[in-house]
Amino acid sequence: MLPLGRKLLIADGGMGSELERMGLGAFDPMELNVTHAEKVRSVHRAYAAAGADLITANSFGLNAVKYRGKYPLETLVSAAVENARSAGKPVFFDVGPTGALLAPVGTLTFDEAYEAYAQIARLTSAQVDGYLVETFSDLYELKACVLALMEHTDKPVYATMTFDRTGRTLTGSTPEIMAQLLEGLGVDALGVNCSLGPAELFPVVERILRATDLPVVVQPNRGLPVFENGKTVYPLSDEEFAAWAQKYAEAGVAVLGGCCGTTPETIQKIAPLSGRAVPARRAEKQTAVCSATKRVVFDGVRVCGERMNPTGKPKLRDAIRAQDYDYLVAEALRQEEAGADLLDLNVGVPGIDEPAAMYAAMCAVQENCTLPLQLDSSDAAALERGARYYNGIPLLNSVNGEETVMAKIFPVAKKYGAVVLGLTMDGGGVPRTAQERAAIARRIVSRAEEYGIPRHRVMIDTLVLTASAEQPLVAETLSALSLVGGMGRATALGVSNVSFGLPARPLINRTFLAMVLAGGLTMPIINPLDAEMMGTVRAFNVLSCADEGAADFIARYRDAVQAPPSAAGAPTAKDLRDCVLRGLVREAAECAARELSVRAPLETVNEVLIPALNEVGEGYAQGRLYLPQLIASAEAAKAAFAVVGERLQGGGASRGKVVLATVHGDVHDIGKNIVKVVAQSHGYEVIDLGKDVPEERVVEAVLREKPLAVGLSALMTTTVASMRETIAALKAAGCTAKILVGGAVLNAEIARSIGADGYTADAPSFAAALDALSEA
Amino acid sequence: MNSSELRRRALAYLGCVGRAPAATEEMVDDCLEEARSLAHFRAVGREYTRPLPFLEKPPYREFLAGCSGYALVAMTLGSEVERRIRALMTLDAARAVVLDACASALVEAMGDKWEERYGENRTFRFCPGYGGSDVADNRYLFEQLDPARIGMQLLPSGMMAPQKSMAGIVGLGKREKRSCSDCMAAEGCLYRKEGRVCYRSEENC
Repeated sequence: MLPLGRKLLIADGGMGSELERMGLGAFDPMELNVTHAEKVRSVHRAYAAAGADLITANSFGLNAVKYRGKYPLETLVSAAVENARSAGKPVFFDVGPTGALLAPVGTLTFDEAYEAYAQIARLTSAQVDGYLVETFSDLYELKACVLALMEHTDKPVYATMTFDRTGRTLTGSTPEIMAQLLEGLGVDALGVNCSLGPAELFPVVERILRATDLPVVVQPNRGLPVFENGKTVYPLSDEEFAAWAQKYAEAGVAVLGGCCGTTPETIQKIAPLSGRAVPARRAEKQTAVCSATKRVVFDGVRVCGERMNPTGKPKLRDAIRAQDYDYLVAEALRQEEAGADLLDLNVGVPGIDEPAAMYAAMCAVQENCTLPLQLDSSDAAALERGARYYNGIPLLNSVNGEETVMAKIFPVAKKYGAVVLGLTMDGGGVPRTAQERAAIARRIVSRAEEYGIPRHRVMIDTLVLTASAEQPLVAETLSALSLVGGMGRATALGVSNVSFGLPARPLINRTFLAMVLAGGLTMPIINPLDAEMMGTVRAFNVLSCADEGAADFIARYRDAVQAPPSAAGAPTAKDLRDCVLRGLVREAAECAARELSVRAPLETVNEVLIPALNEVGEGYAQGRLYLPQLIASAEAAKAAFAVVGERLQGGGASRGKVVLATVHGDVHDIGKNIVKVVAQSHGYEVIDLGKDVPEERVVEAVLREKPLAVGLSALMTTTVASMRETIAALKAAGCTAKILVGGAVLNAEIARSIGADGYTADAPSFAAALDALSEA
Repeated sequence: MNSSELRRRALAYLGCVGRAPAATEEMVDDCLEEARSLAHFRAVGREYTRPLPFLEKPPYREFLAGCSGYALVAMTLGSEVERRIRALMTLDAARAVVLDACASALVEAMGDKWEERYGENRTFRFCPGYGGSDVADNRYLFEQLDPARIGMQLLPSGMMAPQKSMAGIVGLGKREKRSCSDCMAAEGCLYRKEGRVCYRSEENC
């Protein structure tokens, strides 16, 4: 056992650059484990002789996603371990990234990445002394990798990422976010490697040392690489590198080694530091959650947006049931714009598969919105699924004082490093007095600690009862808040519950919000689109000195006093046709309502909306209108259709269903998205399967939905092949819907040759083709 | 490239021939600013004196004729701007397509600027797929440059991820601007019918 964290350990240095020095630069470095085993061993032995306490196998590119060469992966993996073993030191398996980008930017799924690393762990766990996960630049891929290792081996896992000069990884994560995620997942040590030299990395390492108590690993390059005569040169001398190593050791780093450009000579220079006592330090214990790019620390008032919850929202409920997550995504983005710090996500609709819905909804939201999430469910399986696939550290809502509930949720929070919200109630319901609620809070916190969840990862909700039914108990919520706050715990309240059953609810809500903020509330769960509620929070931040110099407040409200009371200057539209032609979305809905007072709904569609859209389509075809105007008009018509739809029996004005997909292998979906908006504007219900869609998903959707037409999109010649396969699969499955295709490399002739029923050059012609079908 | 050129290029990508409406121009300016704030431009390049085997094929051979060497380059704006475009598609689709066009214009412009390191005596960036060359040749560029280190990937379909990414060849020791002479699509090209070219999109307004 290595004395990790107590005594400073020296790791080895660069492998690739050493092999290059031996003239082996032209070969696949992973295959050298077999073809030039003796050379690889000589590098390992040189590092051991230089004084490295541990040896990393030459296995950086050995995972099934990255390595596609001629040897079986198993052969290279065991050769790499054997070669490292020859140095006679503890052997760490070097685990590098897959080199593939995760969806939605790339096409690799979290599960595929996980499986690649699980395979590595299964192959090596019995042979190695530990794992060095390194050079990761995507937090989500790192999470997949570390989870796979944690679930398949009990050997130590050290994990490091690379940061650039902005102090962020390529995908935008900060050192604090990385530290929190890795500590949460339970690695043994964490840190940084590669990309920068020791001087540039120092500030990043200082931040990591402040963010975690875990041992910190640092493996810098030998300076920032420069290019001279077409070659990469590392500028630091071994002495300069060693001087930096000294500083790192003094700062509290526990494992020091080198990355690109470092050699056995470099390691020899830093080897005298081996065995030095690692200075003790204490990281800040912050209650915080994070997404991949945003971290929210609960050291002041933080607003949790409550709008992604179907309770009392029939439209949202229907959208979740229909697996249409655009609606949720739009809610997320609007709350983000309104200034929320994190967002609640609840998909609890009776009769659905809640874990599956939580997974799908959470993925949709986290792919679009950067705010951290509070996963909210009474179904432990849904919380587990959410926490597993969340790209960051979520807040789990919730546990309460009931032992059975804590026994289900705490293991989930422990495993994924989540923060837990504890409700101060138990099997006996909500206690009346503040003291009883504080007692439950204490029980929750101490039980969490028994599960290995430190107190700073527990938040407490002292529960709001309605003032209409339980008027005297409003004061108890406040007292409980101050008792729990006194325990040093961050607190949460669903503020608007207080006004149920009363008139003028907003007035009660914002008054209560001011009271609880003054009472020490950390996280109000509110509707951030309510400007008065957000205003109360901002004003409170001024009055409590959280907003220093009122800078944020002034920046936001400076112009508010001068703004004219009415929306003067806004374009005024004459009628619905005008709204559509000019692309005025909000006005279109108003004009549609007005139109409906003089016309029947169907007449409004056929005599106003459709002719206006046709006018827009013609203008676009003739080059008088451009793409942004086409889309703005489509959005205006969509808004009008929504209003008209509410007046029709059955609650919809759908002129027919259309299934849209960008075919397998293709990730460019802007064309398909434009077609979607325009088709919706013409009153068609679009089932959008997204991009990189496997043919069987298209077939399944078409058989289920029985649409009027299927629209397929492909950008490149290579993906036209998968379009052809999708069409063949549809026909083989007996699809009778018309198959329309479009995309940059297609034309009518190619469309015919791959078996499509039609080619449409742009979005308006797609809509025209649908019109022809629906009228036929 | 200055802002007005960038704006013209973005407008051209949106199909704006002639004067765009003031509201559209305003949105383009806004989105250019947003694209700049979301862009994390990263590039890698490597210089060569002897042609790699794939460059012996006709379109490349002719393109590099008379050059003393060449550089392979790959560059990306990163994935943050892509996430924002995706998000806007649900919130404000018109703005999403404008931001998409602005990001395309920006990556081209930042790429041109980055290539100034190769001196004035250089050609434009010839990307696999141009002039009848095979877009699948991108794999050779990826093998040489390992753009994974700047967060780029060549997908199995031959597409690059993130979307706002480019890879190409810059000839050194000779100046050359783009032309239609070696383009397989020149016949029947819509731009040419209107007396314009596709590759100087900023002139297409």
